[in-house]
This record gives sequence, structure tokens and C-alpha cells, in this order.
Amino acid sequence: MLLVRDSMVREVVTVSPETTAAEALKLCWERGIRHLPVLEGGKMVGLISDRDLRLATPALGDPNRAAALEKIRVGDEMSRGITTADPEDPIEQAAMAMHEKKIGCLPVVEGDDLVGILTASDVMAALVRLVGAHEPGSRLEVQIPDRPGSLAEVAGIVRDQGVNIVSVLSAPSEGNGVAHSVAVIRLATINPSGVVRSLQEAGFPVLWPPTAPDGPGL
Amino acid sequence: MSGRAVFVHDEALEAYGFGGDHPFNPLRVRMTIELCESLGLMEGHRFVSPEPATDEDLTTVHSLSYVRSVQKAGRDEAPLSELLDYGIGTQDNPIFPQMHEACAHVVGAVIGACRLVVGGEAEHALCVSGGLHHALRSKASGFCVYNDAGAAIARLKEEHPGIRVAYVDTDAHHGDGVQWMFYDDPDVLTFSMHESGRYLFPGTGGVEEKGRDGGTGYSLNVPLQPFTQDPSFIECFEETLPEALRRFRPDLILSQNGCDAHALDPLTHLSATTRVYEHVPRRVHELAHELCEGRWVAIGGGGYDIWRVVPRAWAALWAAVSHQEMPETMPGSWIAKWGGQSPVALPNLTRDAAADYPPIGRAAQIEERNRRTVAELKRKVLPLIEEGPRP
Ligand SMILES: [Zn+2]
Ligand SMILES: [Zn+2]
Repeated sequence: MLLVRDSMVREVVTVSPETTAAEALKLCWERGIRHLPVLEGGKMVGLISDRDLRLATPALGDPNRAAALEKIRVGDEMSRGITTADPEDPIEQAAMAMHEKKIGCLPVVEGDDLVGILTASDVMAALVRLVGAHEPGSRLEVQIPDRPGSLAEVAGIVRDQGVNIVSVLSAPSEGNGVAHSVAVIRLATINPSGVVRSLQEAGFPVLWPPTAPDGPGL
Repeated sequence: MSGRAVFVHDEALEAYGFGGDHPFNPLRVRMTIELCESLGLMEGHRFVSPEPATDEDLTTVHSLSYVRSVQKAGRDEAPLSELLDYGIGTQDNPIFPQMHEACAHVVGAVIGACRLVVGGEAEHALCVSGGLHHALRSKASGFCVYNDAGAAIARLKEEHPGIRVAYVDTDAHHGDGVQWMFYDDPDVLTFSMHESGRYLFPGTGGVEEKGRDGGTGYSLNVPLQPFTQDPSFIECFEETLPEALRRFRPDLILSQNGCDAHALDPLTHLSATTRVYEHVPRRVHELAHELCEGRWVAIGGGGYDIWRVVPRAWAALWAAVSHQEMPETMPGSWIAKWGGQSPVALPNLTRDAAADYPPIGRAAQIEERNRRTVAELKRKVLPLIEEGPRP
């Protein structure tokens, strides 16, 4: 469910190196997109964004703009050596690549074929599903020690309270010198108080929601 | 008959509850009814008994397979594994005998209340058992099995094509079920003021949830910071609701009056007092007279301090609906009857004393955050409401 192929857009709008900047910008505007893979003989040779094109052409209002837009070819301005994703890549791997390289889009390639495109907003949509944010639930943050079985113990406590888990994410966290993780758990209940109490009794600090008006976390 | 207020209630409605020590306890309705009687607020008024909703009423907003599952659950005819897919049989929404009948009766009561008001037989109507705003199309959620407000609005739309309904929800939880049912409908304005979903179930109800397609601009959300107190609560309410309703021009206002934003409520982190629970109905009442010839139906909702909060909040609601002054003192007979069962001391006054709820240390910060939320709603969403027809 959380692979690149589940989140990518399959109908990709492409251009060729000979496409003019005017045509490419028009495509972006009409289709509401920001990135165009550049194909030559069916093979991807580059990527052009509306931002690349804007930077390469005179600003709006400049008398030379129209002529420049017709003259500049996509092939002159496109980026080469593009980072791509495989449809079977986990979505988090694609997200990491986009984050580390500060890019807003990954063409998805299978062998030599361009089969889709993944943008930052597709990754966001996957994240919303991943955290279950569209399902009714109560959000808890629980501090758990970095040792095997901790998360299972937390899950067991939730199970014993008869509550379903909508989603669970866990990330390492520093603080007070002891290695631990913080698990963000969405519970399918309007009344998480029983779970909170049991977790605290078992020695798992519940960091969220805050319980005191002037306490930490707010 | 103009000026007449109706209290829609029947003991059959008190069957809606999940038993044991479940927080949703129908005793709160009994205590409310008896408090209204003891305070003398029922003199010259009587209770109107509602009919249960039919399957056709329910399937205006619920799937037939869901309704069938609730029916089977209440007769012990379906395996738990099958019911869990519908949110039934969970810790929040346990199975209880005849649950379909009890839940359908609540829906029928709210449909009935709306028909009395829209049909002109009553000016205002109250049904405290209604307000089960979390119920989804095919899923029980947050103690709510059938969505009474949703079904009532859908029925009204069938019976009165073109009718414009404003749904006003001040429960501490986001009114998600009703919002999603009319998310693309410009004839139903949903307004929900609640504790932010970052802190509280169901997690939704951000300002950016503003409706979809033709209904864009007709879902309004005011998510409040935890520990919001009366002044900020009332300020946010006043800054948004009157303007929204004046633009929209409803034919009917249906208000959900969950009182779980009270500081004593065990399930939420808001810090309102009875001041909010007098202010909100009074203002909704005034707006109903200003905008839609008084057509106003009030329903209950959440409220889990059933001893100190719910009876007082909803007696004050009935006082507003029925054009009466709320007396100051709690009746001794009522305290004597319920005091023995209550795990906490029952208040002697109908209103909370301001001195018992002083401003908290972070009040100014909370107020500031709430103001930013309101400003965002006013900037981004309120202008999308097309000005409705003037009378
Ligand atoms: Zn009136
Ligand atoms: Zn509530």
C-alpha cells in the first residue's frame, strides 16, 4: 500500500528537447503541474520545471519576453542526470530522496520506460494515509525505551483496553540523555483515558495530549 | 402556533446508552428532565412523544447494510467480527440489546422536532437525546450509532426542496459526521466549534476543511486551543457565527448543544462554564428570530460530567428555547434525589461562580492563538458563502 506505485501519477505529461519554453509553460499552466519529463526517442533525457523556465526567461512585462519564450528550447534549460524512483520503492525511500536532494518530484522509471511521476504532494497524500489522519481517532504520543519488545508491550496494553490502533509511527528522540523513542499512536476511540492510565501505570510516559493547563507540550 | 416551544421527549429515548460504566449514560437525560420539572420550567409545557425513524429515514444518510448490521447486533444475530467493520462492538460503541430500536427512536425524535418547527406547529423545539454527530454513513463512531441531525436535515431537504439549513455545533468534539454528510452541499451550512483535532478526537475539524465542490465555503470549523475559557470561547463564537448565518440566511437553524467543553468534563480539555451554556443558546435563539422567523431546533450531544454539568447546561438550554428565565437556585428536592447516587457533591446554584474558574496562566496566549484561527476562517472561508436570499 505504501509503495511508489500506489501514490504516483500514471498519466505523465512529457515534452521533447525541441519544445519551446512558451509551449512548456502553457502545458504546466493548463494541466496544473510543475514538472515535465523530457523524452527523446521514448527515453527520458531530462526534466524541466516551470521554475527552470521562468528563471531562464525575462520577467513578465519585459518587452523581450515573448520572443525569448519562443526562442528558448526545453533542451537548453532542462536538468540532466535525474534522480528517479522505481515503482516498487517504498514511499519513505522516495520521500528521503526528495528531501535530501531538495527536489519536488521524482520521475518513476521501470527499465527504460517512464511509467509515472511522483510529486511532493503525492508523498504528502501518502503520509496522510500512513498516519491515518482521515480516520476518526485520538492522538497519543508515548515515550518508549529503546529496547526490543517495548512497542509490542505498548500495543499489548492498548489491546487489553479493547481499543483498535488506527496507525502507529515511532521515531528515535533525544532528550534527558537517555536513548528512547516516541511513538505517535492514533487510537480509534473518543475516550483514550483508560489506555493513558494503563500506559502510565506500566511506566510509559504519555507526552500528548497535555493534561495540565500550564504544563509542558503546549 | 407562534411562540410555542416544544420539548420532544419520551422515556423510550432513555434506552439509548451503552450500560455499565460507559461514559455515555442516559441517566443524564433523566436528570435533565427532572431538573426542568423541579425548576418549574415545564409548567404550561408538555413533552411531545416522537415516533421512531423508519429504515427509509435512516438510509437517507446511512447505508442499508449498516442499518441491517445494527439491527442484527441488537438481536444478537451477527458475529462480532462482522460488526467491528461497522464500528459496532468496540469499546466506544458496545452492542446493547435492541440497539437499533433505541437509536432509531432518537433519530425519529429529531426528525419529528424539525417537522414541528418547519411545519409551523412549533416555533422552537428541543430534543436533548439528539446530537449524535460522529455517526458516519457506514460506521458507528464516538458513542454515536445513527446520525440524527444528518438524517433530519436529509429528510427536510426531501420534503422541502430548496430549504437551507444551518447546523451549529458547539460540542467539544468536531461535528465530523454531519460535516461529511453535507460536505459538498451549499444548502447545508455546517458550523462546528470544538477543541482542536491535534488534541482531541476525532482529529478533524481544521479551518481548511471548508467543504468541497459546490459546497466549498459551507463547512466552517473553529478549532480551539485546549484549556480555552469562557471569554475566548464566547469571543470566537461571536466573531464567526453571526456573520456566517447572516450571509447564509438559513430557513432553519439546527443547533447541537453538547456540553462537554465544560471545565469539569472528563473527556476533553476545554475549560468552559455554564456561562457558555447560557450564552450560546441565547444567541442562536436571537439569530433564529433575526434570520428565519424563529425556526430553531436544539438538540443535545456530548456531556460526560452527568452530575454537575449536563443537567444544568441543558435545563438552561430549555429555558432559552421556551423563553423562560433560568432560576438561580438548584431545587432541594432534585439535589436530595440525585445527591445520594452522585460520586461528587452537586452544586447548589444553577450557574457556575466565576470565582471558581479564574483565568489560567496561559489565558492570554490561548486567546491569541484562537484569535488567529478566527482571523484565518474569516479571511479564507467566510467570504466563500454566497449571500443568501433576503426575506
Ligand atoms: Zn423565541
Ligand atoms: Zn463531544
